[in-house]
Amino acid sequence: MLFVQLLLGGVQNGALYALTAAGFALIFGATKVFHVAHGSAFTLAGYVFLYGWTQAWNPVLASLAAVTVAVAFGVGMERLVYRPIQRHEGSFFTVFVAAFGVSIVVQNLVGVVAGRGFASIDTPLSNASEVLPELFLADVFWVAIVVALVMFVALTLFLSRTNAGVALRALAQNPDLLRAYGLSSSRLSMLAFALGSALVAPAAILTAMTTGLNEAVGNHVMLLSMASTIVGGVGSLRGAALAGLLLGVAESVVLVFLETQWASAASFLVLFGFILFRPSGMFGAAVAR
Amino acid sequence: MIAYFSNLATLVAIFGILAVTLNFMVGYAGIFSVAHAVFFGLGAYAGAQIALTVAPDPLLACAVAALIAGVLSLCLALPALRVRGEYFVAASLGLQMVALTLFSEVKSLTGGIGGLTNIPRPQVFGVEVSVLPLALLALGLLLWAIHAMANGSFGRTLKAIRDAESAAEALGKPVAVAKALAVAFACAGAGVAGALFALHMSFVNVESFTLEQSVLVMAMMIVGGTGTLFGPLVGAVLLLSLPSALSFLTFIPPTEVGSVQQIIYGLAMTLLMVFRPAGLLGDQTKGKSQA
Repeated sequence: MLFVQLLLGGVQNGALYALTAAGFALIFGATKVFHVAHGSAFTLAGYVFLYGWTQAWNPVLASLAAVTVAVAFGVGMERLVYRPIQRHEGSFFTVFVAAFGVSIVVQNLVGVVAGRGFASIDTPLSNASEVLPELFLADVFWVAIVVALVMFVALTLFLSRTNAGVALRALAQNPDLLRAYGLSSSRLSMLAFALGSALVAPAAILTAMTTGLNEAVGNHVMLLSMASTIVGGVGSLRGAALAGLLLGVAESVVLVFLETQWASAASFLVLFGFILFRPSGMFGAAVAR
Repeated sequence: MIAYFSNLATLVAIFGILAVTLNFMVGYAGIFSVAHAVFFGLGAYAGAQIALTVAPDPLLACAVAALIAGVLSLCLALPALRVRGEYFVAASLGLQMVALTLFSEVKSLTGGIGGLTNIPRPQVFGVEVSVLPLALLALGLLLWAIHAMANGSFGRTLKAIRDAESAAEALGKPVAVAKALAVAFACAGAGVAGALFALHMSFVNVESFTLEQSVLVMAMMIVGGTGTLFGPLVGAVLLLSLPSALSFLTFIPPTEVGSVQQIIYGLAMTLLMVFRPAGLLGDQTKGKSQA
């Protein structure tokens, strides 16, 4: 039963990782920006929701505020940091360092403003009940899975059925041709950042209800999204989401054999193995070199 | 006051070693590692164990530390040969996270979270010496070696690989060997810095070898100017003086000084990358970063 319990816990976390990873993959795929500050959008969204909750706002309003802040952060990064750097042909390392600087600032500002250490929300959703002998599940488990599924269906529909979505996929494949057809790649980049950042908000809210947030949570989220994107295969949203789910499950199930401290090391060993032996990931076509 | 400044100078020299060796890897060879603190840590644990179990001889400690860090740098060289760009950064981040777990879990060698304590003071020929002259000597030697290499054929091969790997390979340059050697040299340098750090602090624990530390070293290199000889050293001086400069600003509550410091260097990294990507000492005329 312990195994099933851990497996279900892993699925719950994995569903949330899948959302953040899909956001990262969407941004990286469409704009080729390695958005290291993706985790900061997660931290900000989570803490905004936390603030709204403690101020007894309507949860819907608090969630909307969280989404708004995440989107504003993503678009702001694109406009104020990535765009100016790319204008003078900065290398990817320049972009990486600038984004890392922002994530350090966000982590510490949140620490100063909201206080350090874990903060979580107690809702009726997070009370676990025994569904089977020795198997505990909280309602938030179902919420996480339904939210993740709904977001994916919506995202897939958007990318395949709407003009803007098709244009985004075109931007990922051939930005020059896209511009030749008279579409604005800069507006589409903003759209990619807005959508990708919006995807982290539900994950952040649900994390606040389950494991809780701390000011450094963004680092973990960023590393996992990055790992999932590479393991899944760059350019494949489905791959990134699946890899996020798998890493979540692996992190949890590994506890059967190992102690807690090894959980994240295990997922990075997986990443390391993929980079060494299959850099194109599970579903990627192009090799990294 | 003198003790305070000699402590600061020692730390500047040690972090200067870290920054210039990282710069050799990033600025000359184009291998963007964010795992430099891992090799700093390996050197520190190796140096500490030598001082604790064999003899508090700094030269022996540095040599063993350099050897261990240099050999284990293969963990970094392998992905560097396979992939580059974002993928390599991701691999080195992964290495950093795995190594951090190992540092805190392999308690027999590293003492776990508690760390290794009571490391004896370094002695040369039975005479107790301070770490400052040793660190300055090591820094000077490394700067000289980097200068010589950068202007020699090895440095030019590395720069060629950095700028156009396929072209360098087509011209018959030994790409794999050159990359592996550059990584080994830089990591061995970080190992020496680690051994000196352990001897200087006479205490090491996993806190000093985190991702934040790697990023701090990276920030030193970038603030000063990637790909310049003295830039990283300037960056080390600036960033290490920051805490003491902040302590003069009494309106910041003491509990928040650490955060304010981090916010300042995070902001500095971002603003520099946006407005002056080549760093303070870098060549601004090129219009793009050396990195």
